[in-house]
Amino acid sequence: MNVTITFRNRTNPFIPIEAEMITPDAFLQDKEILVGEGNRTVPLEALADLVIEGDGFSIEEVDILIRGDSSRVKRVGEYMNGGTITIEGDIGMHCGNFMSGGRIEILGSAEGWLGREMQGGEILCHGDAGDYCASGYRGGRRGMRGGSVEVIGSVGDFACEHISGGEVLIHGNTGDYACAEMKGGTVTILGDSSRVCANMSAGTCYVYGSAEEMIPTFEKKGIVDHDGLLFHHFMGDVANRGRGHLYVARYTYLQ
Amino acid sequence: MEIRDVPCPFCGCLCDDISVRLDDNRILGVENCCTLGNAKFLSKGRLQHPIMRKNGKWVEVSYEEAIDETARILSDAVRPLLYGWSGTVGEAQVVGVHLGEEIGALIDSTTSVCHNPSILAIQEVGHPGCTLGQVKNRADLVIYWGCNPIEAHPRHMSRYTTYADGYFIDNTVTDRKVIVVDIRRSEGAKVADEFIQIKPGGDYLVLSALRAMVRGRDDVVPDSVAGVKKEQLQRVASLMQKAKFGAVFFGLGITMSRGKYKNVRNAIELVSELNRKTKFTISAMRGHFNVYGFNEVLTWMAGYPFAVDFSRGIAFYNPGETTVIDLLERKEPDACLVIASDPGAHFPKSTIEHMAAIPTVQIDPCVNATTALCQVQIPVAITGIEAAGTAYRMDGVPIRMKKIIETNFPTDQEILERIVTRIREMKRDG
Ligand code: SF4
Repeated sequence: MNVTITFRNRTNPFIPIEAEMITPDAFLQDKEILVGEGNRTVPLEALADLVIEGDGFSIEEVDILIRGDSSRVKRVGEYMNGGTITIEGDIGMHCGNFMSGGRIEILGSAEGWLGREMQGGEILCHGDAGDYCASGYRGGRRGMRGGSVEVIGSVGDFACEHISGGEVLIHGNTGDYACAEMKGGTVTILGDSSRVCANMSAGTCYVYGSAEEMIPTFEKKGIVDHDGLLFHHFMGDVANRGRGHLYVARYTYLQ
Repeated sequence: MEIRDVPCPFCGCLCDDISVRLDDNRILGVENCCTLGNAKFLSKGRLQHPIMRKNGKWVEVSYEEAIDETARILSDAVRPLLYGWSGTVGEAQVVGVHLGEEIGALIDSTTSVCHNPSILAIQEVGHPGCTLGQVKNRADLVIYWGCNPIEAHPRHMSRYTTYADGYFIDNTVTDRKVIVVDIRRSEGAKVADEFIQIKPGGDYLVLSALRAMVRGRDDVVPDSVAGVKKEQLQRVASLMQKAKFGAVFFGLGITMSRGKYKNVRNAIELVSELNRKTKFTISAMRGHFNVYGFNEVLTWMAGYPFAVDFSRGIAFYNPGETTVIDLLERKEPDACLVIASDPGAHFPKSTIEHMAAIPTVQIDPCVNATTALCQVQIPVAITGIEAAGTAYRMDGVPIRMKKIIETNFPTDQEILERIVTRIREMKRDG
């Protein structure tokens, strides 16, 4: 089953659209797709052209393509458990919330909370991702738990906050406090990062660029070879009785 | 006539020992108040009638017309925002939350731009707090971190800490130590026994270093952290552990600087670590006299303390997404009601430009910077002077605000109730 959703231009393009029903599962079950536009609930067709071609007998046979301006469309792929979603442009907040299977590919950039609390499946974002990429929710103790997120561009602040499982690969830089409160999983940052792994207790993080303003409570363990490159190996966060592993190519302290 | 024990409706200290001298329904003088509170009790000049912009000009209108227009603006909106709330009482805030639910609005308070990060941190790791009375009577070490009580909460030190007699403190001057942590030598720093000057944005790093030291892991800490020498940090860590009862007070210096809620979380975790060895508490220096109260009211009614989005018929909370600055920056709201605060005076330019571009209504006794952004302003009684109700002090203690002056102005609560009634009538009539 191929589903093509083309968002039309709106009079007020700033009003967010909440579209948690845009998942392969909902189309497979032939549900009426309702979305929230501000405080009104409307059928998806009121805002987008919808074309469904072919049948699907299992979730793996459902492919969704999103076109048009989807930069304010939130919660696409929430609780997704299979199939694919491809987004031609940018996508709004909370794309792939809680997903457990399937694949989301974003050809543009993603807003905040990409892959929030995800448990499985894959997300590939070709542009940048906003704050809280692959993170958790307010007050939560565990963020991303499984699956994989790859961002070709850079990410905002608090990426991978509370991450407790899964793999994240960021090709660009991160903002402040990437991997804060990290509890598990593996995060690889090919660019620079700042104040990385604050208060971590477990898990592994690699910074191929420079770790700026390192948290001053990590224990130096020596130099190790990883991927053919030399990294400084730290363990911590000692302030948190943490036993996480942080490998950085270069680092600075705010002294 | 003198009325005693009047709570001051200005800052979160909510000093309830103010004496007000009155004659013929006018305030002649105020005693025990600081300059900030004094200015509020003795303020002159207010808006006498509701006003509306018509053909680009302000015109005086009746309360009925102003309420009608407000109800129409809010009913037509797809993403209405109700903002402010911290300068009014719980009774009015309750009606505000009902209004938010009725119209599927976003509702947020000034918490959003002050101690929002403190609440996020508390939601992550809890709050080892206490009342100000406990601090006054027991604390032998007081730490002001990223705040300047002398200018922002002028009676905090004299009522609760440095200059206040304590039941279990023999001599408050010699037995109570004060540490001030700031990026500049503030007025408060001048009365401190120890002043720690941190490089801007370095609070988190210093807090981590102190946590490690309290755990006995000085070995991992570099020689200097964010401009603070390791020796000073060791001295302070030792002072903290030797205290019988330590009290940390923190302000916007750590909540609104780099790190935000992570700074507060780190401070709370330092206090938790200290509580393995002695008694320590931590409290936020809240600003508006009832900013804490709105957090209480919204939590009772919607489950969250600020930044609630009712647009889907349920309460959704996610600071960064549902907080006023982020919403205005993204130009989401298409109508706005401001009450009991003055965002026009301190919000970023891009956000107030959006407020000016959409229909904005203000409920406030006085003309202020927000008036310039509005289409409608409805004047009301001054809460805590002309209207009674419940407010919450910065430590969560509820205090009854008094009405000491008679007035013909309606209260915040009355105006909000009339708006809700009018919206319901409009819905019923289609
Ligand atoms: S410290 Fe605050 S509450 Fe007390 S008198 Fe001054 S302004 Fe009023």
